[in-house]
Amino acid sequence: MSARRATANGAGFVAVALVAAPVLLGGIYSLLAALGVAGAGAATISASRIVRVLSDAETWRSLTWTLLTAATATSLATAAAVVVSVRLQESRAGRVLAMLPLAVPHVAAALAALLLLGQSGLLSRLAFAAGWVSEPAAFPVLVYDRTGISLIFAFAWKEFPFLALTGLVVLQTAGQSLHEVAQTLGADARAIFRRVTWPLLWRGMTPAVLAVFAYLIGQYEMAVLLAPSDPLPFPLLTYERISDPALNRRGEAHVLGLIALLLTIALVLLHERVRETLGGWMGGGAHDRAADDRGERYDA
Amino acid sequence: MTLSWQHLVPWSWHVVRSTVCAGIGRKRGLTVRLTVRLTVRLTGGLVLAASCARTPASDKAAAYSPATLAVMPWDSVVARGRGGTVIWRMWRGDPAINAYVDGWVAPRLKERFDITLQAVDGQGAEIVNALVTEREAGRGTGSASLLWINGETFAQLRRESLLGGPWAGRLPNAQYIDSSSAIVSRDFEQDPTGYESPWGTVQFALIYDTGRTPDPPRSFSELASWIRAHPGRFTHDQGFSGVTLLKMLMYAQGGGVAAYQGGFDDAKYIAGRDSVFAWLRALTPFFWRKGATYPPDVAAMHRLFANREIDFSMSPNENEVLTKIRQGVLPPSARALLLRDGTIANAHFLGIPFNAPNSAGAMVVADFLLSPEAQLEKRKPDVWADGTVLSLDRLPSEWRTKFAALEADAHALPSDSLRRYARPEVDPMYHERLQADWRSTIRRATR
Repeated sequence: MSARRATANGAGFVAVALVAAPVLLGGIYSLLAALGVAGAGAATISASRIVRVLSDAETWRSLTWTLLTAATATSLATAAAVVVSVRLQESRAGRVLAMLPLAVPHVAAALAALLLLGQSGLLSRLAFAAGWVSEPAAFPVLVYDRTGISLIFAFAWKEFPFLALTGLVVLQTAGQSLHEVAQTLGADARAIFRRVTWPLLWRGMTPAVLAVFAYLIGQYEMAVLLAPSDPLPFPLLTYERISDPALNRRGEAHVLGLIALLLTIALVLLHERVRETLGGWMGGGAHDRAADDRGERYDA
Repeated sequence: MTLSWQHLVPWSWHVVRSTVCAGIGRKRGLTVRLTVRLTVRLTGGLVLAASCARTPASDKAAAYSPATLAVMPWDSVVARGRGGTVIWRMWRGDPAINAYVDGWVAPRLKERFDITLQAVDGQGAEIVNALVTEREAGRGTGSASLLWINGETFAQLRRESLLGGPWAGRLPNAQYIDSSSAIVSRDFEQDPTGYESPWGTVQFALIYDTGRTPDPPRSFSELASWIRAHPGRFTHDQGFSGVTLLKMLMYAQGGGVAAYQGGFDDAKYIAGRDSVFAWLRALTPFFWRKGATYPPDVAAMHRLFANREIDFSMSPNENEVLTKIRQGVLPPSARALLLRDGTIANAHFLGIPFNAPNSAGAMVVADFLLSPEAQLEKRKPDVWADGTVLSLDRLPSEWRTKFAALEADAHALPSDSLRRYARPEVDPMYHERLQADWRSTIRRATR
């Protein structure tokens, strides 16, 4: 038994090591490049690149802007996903429709947003034709704009089906029986949502929501088509540095890459923390325990 | 602790390779320093596994560097190139260029020299980064044999000793090159010294719509008045073309290109930059979106121009307007426009990396691309419309007639005005600094 278990653990460790190796090696290489001993423009070891990036206001402006747009888009996508997974449980056609954006590549989605929301786009032309604006240029600026409206909407539209899919699966696998128990115990629809559906969704979807947020921080293709040139989104700033005409500035891209890596690690740790606080939702029998908790409350 | 890649390179890659590949593992305790070296080797391209499996089949060809090949009879170079594959790292962003390379050049190379041409994406900074990584990984041979480069990329590749050569003068078709032209014989003021072979020439032009702007501005001062009179209708991109426009403005305000020739001069640069930025500060409030944001590249400029959000686009190639009208990207009434203050012309080149797996094949390809036949095809407006680097006077008469016939295109700019307004590039450092300073001041100006 214990020998078999050890073998299984070994195999698991090898699998995890294979997955982690590129990230670890890449991280170490980035660290070397950030210190100026590897990559284009490498010379002698120095912390000057790190100092320069950390003391540059552009880094923090870019990071703040990127975190804000990614967080707003993730919130919108999550809200839409919750509505879809609760309302469209029964409607097969509705579920299929909601999954459509999954099939659209990110670049295509961004181009669509550009053609729809640009000042020379479809909406602007319609508004002009309807006489709402005096000229297409008077249409509100939604693309390449500092508020990042088009980027946020395009992000949210593209990511919500993934979250909705997770939500639907969570409710289908665990929701039905709990729903019935709550009904039997006399809970009304609002109470069921508040006490059963929402907690289930929240616990089940948290990893996916964090993954979407982390992904959006590093999303390049959509940002390059829709984002403003000032503040520059974090992935665009990183690319600008790795292709900087001055070779000795390219190491700064690795510093930015490491900041992004640290952010992701922080998110993973946050996720672990949330999981611990919530109790062993992932483990077997967790729903039953949760159901017991709810049952007690409804009793009281 | 001083550690640099120069210290790391001599340490033999084969030690790592034999150790890891043979599965011997760690016999001796690795010091921290060794670990650092190992990591650089392992991560530099993550090519370890690949190199275990693949002992370069083209080791024989790799033994001949471009410099060695350059002193051999041309027939032996062709013989060594025959039957091989040439991987060509180039910009793949234009369908017209891709069609010329994949549909016209590649089949002819296969047929005549049995060379398989594989064009792969990669330009400028990416080429430099990739070659640095390949060198750090310690591979004997790299991936690409031919590179499409110019200007600052050439400067960086030479500074980092990443190019093979000299070889370019050895090509039989080099005899036709217009070596008296300042545009062809210099690359951003640098002497190519045989480390790159000229391939084509382009000249910067603004693009306007004859329907919308029947009487366009023809100098920077007329452009300034036009911008004031038409708020929100002008901008430039953040990339190469935008900076080229600013550099032309710098020439125009600082007494012409002659003032900036002869290498980079910090004081001249500062004065030139300040005059450009003063011009911009006065005018960006009248730019598209009041200068709060700028299109990322020329493709975005074309889109905004075609959608009538702005009235001028631009291109480093005066003939791009022809190919883009044909592709339906620009309206048929679009035309190229030269400013009388002068517009920057430059040449683009072909280089062979220091670790090319097939230098002989690369030289055969470069020579074919320099042939009157290939240069003429490339020059056709319905192909790519890229300028030739050959001197018509040096060509056999049959070819001279064919080239002359092309100049009669009604949409194209007449060649005599192109020549009259052509200005050469200056030291790449001017471009580099202007781009960095524009990004950190004008683009970033918080309103």
